[in-house]
Amino acid sequence: MQASRARLFKEYKEVQREKVADPDIQLVCDDSNIFKWTALIKGPSETPYEGGVFQLAFSVPEQYPLQPPQVRFLTKIFHPNVHFKTGEICLDILKNAWSPAWTLQSVCRAIIALMAHPEPDSPLNCDSGNLLRSGDVRGFQSMAKMYTRLAAMPKKG
Amino acid sequence: MDQKEQSSSDSCPICLSPILQESYLDQCFHKFCYNCILQWAKFVPSRHSSQQSFVKCPLCKRKSSSIIYEYDGNSFQQHLIHQNSETSDFFTRAHKYRLQCYYVESGNAIDNINIMRYWKSYKYRQPNQWLYSWVSREIQALLQEKDVDIIVHHILGVIDSWRRNEQKGCKISPELKQEEFKRIVADAAKPFLRGRTDRFVNELEMFVASALNIEAYDKVYINHLGWKIPEINDGDDEELEDHDPLVPLLSFSDEDIDGTL
Repeated sequence: MQASRARLFKEYKEVQREKVADPDIQLVCDDSNIFKWTALIKGPSETPYEGGVFQLAFSVPEQYPLQPPQVRFLTKIFHPNVHFKTGEICLDILKNAWSPAWTLQSVCRAIIALMAHPEPDSPLNCDSGNLLRSGDVRGFQSMAKMYTRLAAMPKKG
Repeated sequence: MDQKEQSSSDSCPICLSPILQESYLDQCFHKFCYNCILQWAKFVPSRHSSQQSFVKCPLCKRKSSSIIYEYDGNSFQQHLIHQNSETSDFFTRAHKYRLQCYYVESGNAIDNINIMRYWKSYKYRQPNQWLYSWVSREIQALLQEKDVDIIVHHILGVIDSWRRNEQKGCKISPELKQEEFKRIVADAAKPFLRGRTDRFVNELEMFVASALNIEAYDKVYINHLGWKIPEINDGDDEELEDHDPLVPLLSFSDEDIDGTL
């Protein structure tokens, strides 16, 4: 408990320092609870998520960093490895491949990379996975783009 | 940028703080706090049902089987990942029992072993035929390492040359003799055993003073501790089975010795 708190505090300070360095990620710690964080990440360019801003919710376990944080999308996203309803993310480093050398910041980077490179063979969103697996890249992209517009972009006017 | 690289090379990738008790994994030599990497090594197998004898480096994923720490330029300590006495081929139950002994207060002497008589009756002039196997097992148990021949030869060599020099004469009291013996053994063993050196010297003295073979000595010792370890020497414990049944060394009475001098 103490170790995780100390480590999260280090990360907090690092985030304050690096804010300018990575314009694609904005990590914010809950005012009253250092185990709860939210992040805003920019959809990577040349993907259907481009132009969208996606919100992630982090819940950090007491055993952190021995255990990975739990992360889910709060913003609706159409992606093979993200559960459409719950926002749950299927990503190896959040499960078996976790290493304590990862940080919340680097987890965000990994999620951005996952947005750019979906893994349709381990889908949480079967519709999305099936589109890609059947080779219907255009169908997938237009669905993903539509949901980016609907959910991840500021409403105009 | 320079500043950042510097700070990251001096901080532990697990706690992100400056490294305490610098430790390295034996394959990739990535650096961590001792406690941080130890916790990680212990935490990972607790998630899996099978026990693992390695830890994956948090940075590069290479598998290391030990953590190296307390490196001071000459020597270091090594923590084996999940030392499992059932599966590792050299670390027998006998080794385990010997290691456990070191976690027990040395307490009072064993009844049947009279250490002062050993010194007063000059029994130490006789080489102990089981000493090699005994020291070997002891060092293996303490270091949890199989190949300890060099250390054992070193310690026995020091004892042998001490014994040879002793016989040339120079009469000093048994107490001083005992002191001298313990000092030279401690000096020989200290670089390897460090904090456990003094206890090791006492254990070694007790073993040679007992004039028992290993098997008999273990029985007496376990009996003394009051432990219930059924047949520590069954199964594949060759090291113990190789030894003859209990054959006490020739014992001299004080008069015999005085007569020959």
